[in-house]
Amino acid sequence: MRLSQGATGLLLIAPAVALLSCLTLYPVFHGIWLSFYAKHSFFPGQQFIGLANYAFLLHDPDFWSSLWRGVIYSVSTITLQIGVGVAAALVLNEVFPARNLVRGIVLFPYMIPTVVAVILWKWLLNNQFGLVNYGLVELGLAEENISWMGHSYIMVSLILISVWQFFPFVVLAVLARLQTIPQELYEAAKVDGAGAVRRFLHVTLPQLASVLFVVILLRSIWMFTKFDTVWLITQGGGAEKYIRTLPVYAYLRTFHFYEAGTGAAIAVVMFAILAASTTVYFYLFRTDERL
Amino acid sequence: MSWWATYPGTRKLAVIVSAVLLLAFTAFPFFWMVTTAFKAPSEIFVYPPYFFPKHFTFENIARLFDQTRFLTYFRNSVFVSSMTVLVTLTIATPGAYSLTRFRFLGREKIAAVILFTYMFAPIMIIIPFYVLIRFFGIANTHLALILSYTAFCLPFSLWMLRTFFQSIPLDLEEAALTDGADRLRAILHVLLPMALPGIIATGIFTFILAWNDYIFVRILITSDELKTLSVGIADLYNSSVIDWGMIMSGGMLIIVPVVVVFAYIQRFLVSGWGAGGVKG
Repeated sequence: MRLSQGATGLLLIAPAVALLSCLTLYPVFHGIWLSFYAKHSFFPGQQFIGLANYAFLLHDPDFWSSLWRGVIYSVSTITLQIGVGVAAALVLNEVFPARNLVRGIVLFPYMIPTVVAVILWKWLLNNQFGLVNYGLVELGLAEENISWMGHSYIMVSLILISVWQFFPFVVLAVLARLQTIPQELYEAAKVDGAGAVRRFLHVTLPQLASVLFVVILLRSIWMFTKFDTVWLITQGGGAEKYIRTLPVYAYLRTFHFYEAGTGAAIAVVMFAILAASTTVYFYLFRTDERL
Repeated sequence: MSWWATYPGTRKLAVIVSAVLLLAFTAFPFFWMVTTAFKAPSEIFVYPPYFFPKHFTFENIARLFDQTRFLTYFRNSVFVSSMTVLVTLTIATPGAYSLTRFRFLGREKIAAVILFTYMFAPIMIIIPFYVLIRFFGIANTHLALILSYTAFCLPFSLWMLRTFFQSIPLDLEEAALTDGADRLRAILHVLLPMALPGIIATGIFTFILAWNDYIFVRILITSDELKTLSVGIADLYNSSVIDWGMIMSGGMLIIVPVVVVFAYIQRFLVSGWGAGGVKG
């Protein structure tokens, strides 16, 4: 028996579709369903409670502070990642010795397990024996050792670690685009007497607009839902409260308070916030050539 | 005129200085990890600190192997990541081929939904996912990990492989078909050899994603002997006295396989191909 073109095509994609439906799309709907129930994380059985989980969150100060911290964390890390990432890509696009090796090393922090990024920096930022404090005190920039993991600096440390770990993604995308900008555009700008700054603003930046549109979108989604980097810094101890973002709060509600329903409701709220912001983002910045 | 054009060589110098600063920012933490891993505990906790160990030692690594289940975690990581690569490629390669070469109703819709799921982060689905895994009674098994990584890696694998297949001209397969080869032989002898670098690179991205994961292991695995490296190393922290030498040597050893495979994919990355193959 010979299968038609369409049937063969469907048959080949079927396993992927089946797996994604069961393990990714179904959980999304199951999560929405779960958010209307009181459910213990370990024991079977659940009780329908309507919107009670959402009502609880509405009056829960922990929820609002986690949301607020998440917004601070996302906005600051994304801004810094884009700034450092674009600058780094511009440098790496120039010609200098051992360029390929340097490019590889710069991209590398993005490839390592988060736990390694976190332990590296926790050691560098160690209160007593950390190299960062040593350097700051020796250079006279700090009078005494700074408690980087204490409540007043832990958000700064988290942002630093996250930018270090994730800016290479921006470098990757921007560097790829820089290599395809036609050299004639720069020549023409030079002939017109444009200096380096104006060439960047009027030639490079417009060419990068489409890639930055996608990069900012993806990075926003992933930073707003970032769990491992944030969680691993404290693993629930120390000054955890001061860097508790929504993903961490959803995790705590589910696996420490055993309230899977509330945890699911937080995840649904994150989804809704992302969907709404993405819509606004597309409405404001999308042009046909970009996507 | 730009300021550096008046001073020849200044621009070059500025580029080199920036490159060195960039390199210091990204590479120094790794250097510090490696040098700490080879220092004796008495040298780790000294003030002022120094850059190279005075007495190069393997003590920390020895402690890591003696006092923790590092080898077990390592074996588990290798097994789970390799199985994930195998399952993902087995499902994604025919799937991506289908999305490129066949016409059927709903093909573009399927492609759009796949791209949409690419943006998901684990935390958004992990709670219902966990309930589901428990319902099927496979919590605390490596199977649960392999399934979740496969689901998590499929969207970008399909997307990368699709881009790769699209770059291979259809004519070549058609030529083979007119020469009397059937479709399967045309695929095996013409398409696959050309697509192999792309398939390998996709496999490497999948491997790295599975190797690096923390959250799925944290949530799905409870037995110590089934844990993989990320969670194993993170748990070294929970002891009351933090053994920095041992933790740094653990961190150093986890990234060795990543360094090895990264060397292969770097050329793809820098040219921009497969830029979508990394997420997180």
